[in-house]
Amino acid sequence: MTLLVQQLVLGLLIGGVYVAVGIGFSLVWGVLNIVNLAHGGLVIIGAYLTWLLFSAFKIDPFLSIPIVAAALFGIGYVLQRLLINRVIRAPIFFTLLLTFGVNLVIINVLLLLFKSDFRSVTPSYSGSGLSLGGVQLPYIRVAGLAVALLLAGAVALFLARSRVGGAIQAVGADRDAAQLVGVNLRHVYALTFGIGAACAGVAGGLISTAQAITPSAGEPYTLQAFVVVILGGLGRVSATVVGGLLFGVVETLAQTMVPGLGAGWANAIAFAILVVVLAVRPRGLMGRPV
Amino acid sequence: MRARSVLSALVSLFALTVAACGGSAGSSGGSQTGQDLVIGVPMSITGVQAKEGGLAKQGYDLWLDWINAQGGVNANGTKHKVVLKYEDDQSKPDISAQLTTKLITQDKAQLLLGPYGSATTASDAVVAEKNGIPMVEANGAAQAIFNNGYRYTFGVLSPANKYLQGVIDMAATLNPKPSTMAMLSADDSFSLEVAKAAQEYATAKGFNVVYTDRYPNGSTNLSGLVANAKAKNPEMLLNSGHLAEAVAINKAAKDLRLDAKLYAYSVGPSTPDFVNSLGTDSHYVYGGSQWTPQVKYKPSFYLSVPDYVAAYKKKYATSDDPDYHVAESTAACLALQKAIENAGSLKPDKVRDALASLDVITFFGRIKFDSRGINTYKPMVVEQIQTDGKHHTVFPPDVADAKPQYPTPTWSSR
Repeated sequence: MTLLVQQLVLGLLIGGVYVAVGIGFSLVWGVLNIVNLAHGGLVIIGAYLTWLLFSAFKIDPFLSIPIVAAALFGIGYVLQRLLINRVIRAPIFFTLLLTFGVNLVIINVLLLLFKSDFRSVTPSYSGSGLSLGGVQLPYIRVAGLAVALLLAGAVALFLARSRVGGAIQAVGADRDAAQLVGVNLRHVYALTFGIGAACAGVAGGLISTAQAITPSAGEPYTLQAFVVVILGGLGRVSATVVGGLLFGVVETLAQTMVPGLGAGWANAIAFAILVVVLAVRPRGLMGRPV
Repeated sequence: MRARSVLSALVSLFALTVAACGGSAGSSGGSQTGQDLVIGVPMSITGVQAKEGGLAKQGYDLWLDWINAQGGVNANGTKHKVVLKYEDDQSKPDISAQLTTKLITQDKAQLLLGPYGSATTASDAVVAEKNGIPMVEANGAAQAIFNNGYRYTFGVLSPANKYLQGVIDMAATLNPKPSTMAMLSADDSFSLEVAKAAQEYATAKGFNVVYTDRYPNGSTNLSGLVANAKAKNPEMLLNSGHLAEAVAINKAAKDLRLDAKLYAYSVGPSTPDFVNSLGTDSHYVYGGSQWTPQVKYKPSFYLSVPDYVAAYKKKYATSDDPDYHVAESTAACLALQKAIENAGSLKPDKVRDALASLDVITFFGRIKFDSRGINTYKPMVVEQIQTDGKHHTVFPPDVADAKPQYPTPTWSSR
């Protein structure tokens, strides 16, 4: 029983990372209609920035989150304005091709800068935690989940309450109508992509404390973001939160609770659930009806 | 008319220069200089194993500089400068095999050095065999490579089944002796072979294997499996996998307060990255190693162990010691060099036969191949990252420079 609770807790905690990775991906997909294959690359840039600030200036990985998010916002804004904007109305194949290329460039630039050495952020409190009746709650992971949920709340609030957020939602709903009522499309696109990149940066910061990173470590996260967004449903932050936490729990339980199957089946089970969800609710668990 | 005579003068001048250059090259030195020897090397320059591939390349290049400084490889009195022709296989076996074919057919590689990893080595071995080109490899330890009756593939490293045996042998000598063991393994052929051999060996030695599981190669979320292992309360936690997984398992073990007396990982602890990533949490961790900078072999040629370490630090301007991936890769070059010298020829078949009968002691240890082509004559050593933050060789005792720091204190008391 303790073990089951422990596994559930671990699933929720890793789910927090998936939420953080998924938010930016969902926003960019929903508003710009771009499946951003460079999302994992942006996540890893965030992870490297966090590592750099930690190892060179001894800045705590949680304190550096705003710095990393701001830097990634800048990178995302410029990237969209200069590059991605050129294919914004092109068929989806071109956007996939371009973002795939951007991802390769990111990986290779990181390889040049940092080589393929493994890095990890290990602050002094890493690994300490709370023990509740035999269930371990590692502080760093709990804090990671909290940051992910705060990020989700902040993005949701921003979209719902602020003027710019309203513009972003308007563009997501109908870009031509939004332009007609005076929304500066290029600026809103770039802002949205920048916010997506900033979320990726926050996710990268969390990831750098949980695992060893290399320039190509972001690739699995693009896939996970994709799954999380499909699972939850496109277009709502709360859907990404549900999708991310659910995917984390399903993955962890599948990995550990099916005796004899082994963790090799975790992905198969997680993706089988995805297929079932798509078959039963094609717009995701919390997707809006058309 | 005038222009033509100027032209003819230029042509004759050019011809003279060429003749003079040719003459001087032919008559220099006591031994003759022959054609360059082209050795093909498919390598993980990018991809998931770029780190390890980079280390292997360092080992090859270290020897390349040395041998060319000597004037080249000596085959029957003629010295041949060595050219290593690298191709980036992106750590993918199918691409590696294609590139190996290209190296042989287009670049006319006469010999091959192996790529990084068991999977790529296995696919390249097929190509080497088909073309009758000897491949000496240093980074594919899965025995599966050597159980196909290939005649042209030789591995200088100890095979996979020995990787964690040293740790288990050492555990049997410790006081208080641990009795239970958990094993987590990646699902690639090399890691599974290491895990299976270690479990069987441990059972035969009287240890109780209380938990085993496997995970997909490259997983970074291993907390769930570590929680399962913790529920069985093992005194030894073993991993057969790769660097990133070893880091993830060690972090999870601390997160979840899995307090084992002994932590040992097949790949990872020997690299500086492991210590850099984990800081003091890397202390007390053991690893099986092909080689350490502390071993005490007496080589019959090339550099001694301390000279090798010094040469490495100089060439790569680093204070880090070379890890075993570097050393075993250099050892593959040495095997090839010695085989050419013994054969007195660069002909692939003659070099192959000389490799099959090779028996030398190098800084890396003894190199001798069994009938399958793998070096079963060199022992694995066990190293430990001790509380001074340094790697120490702790087993077997005759090559060790320190005693094991045992048992590992609990996480909360560290």
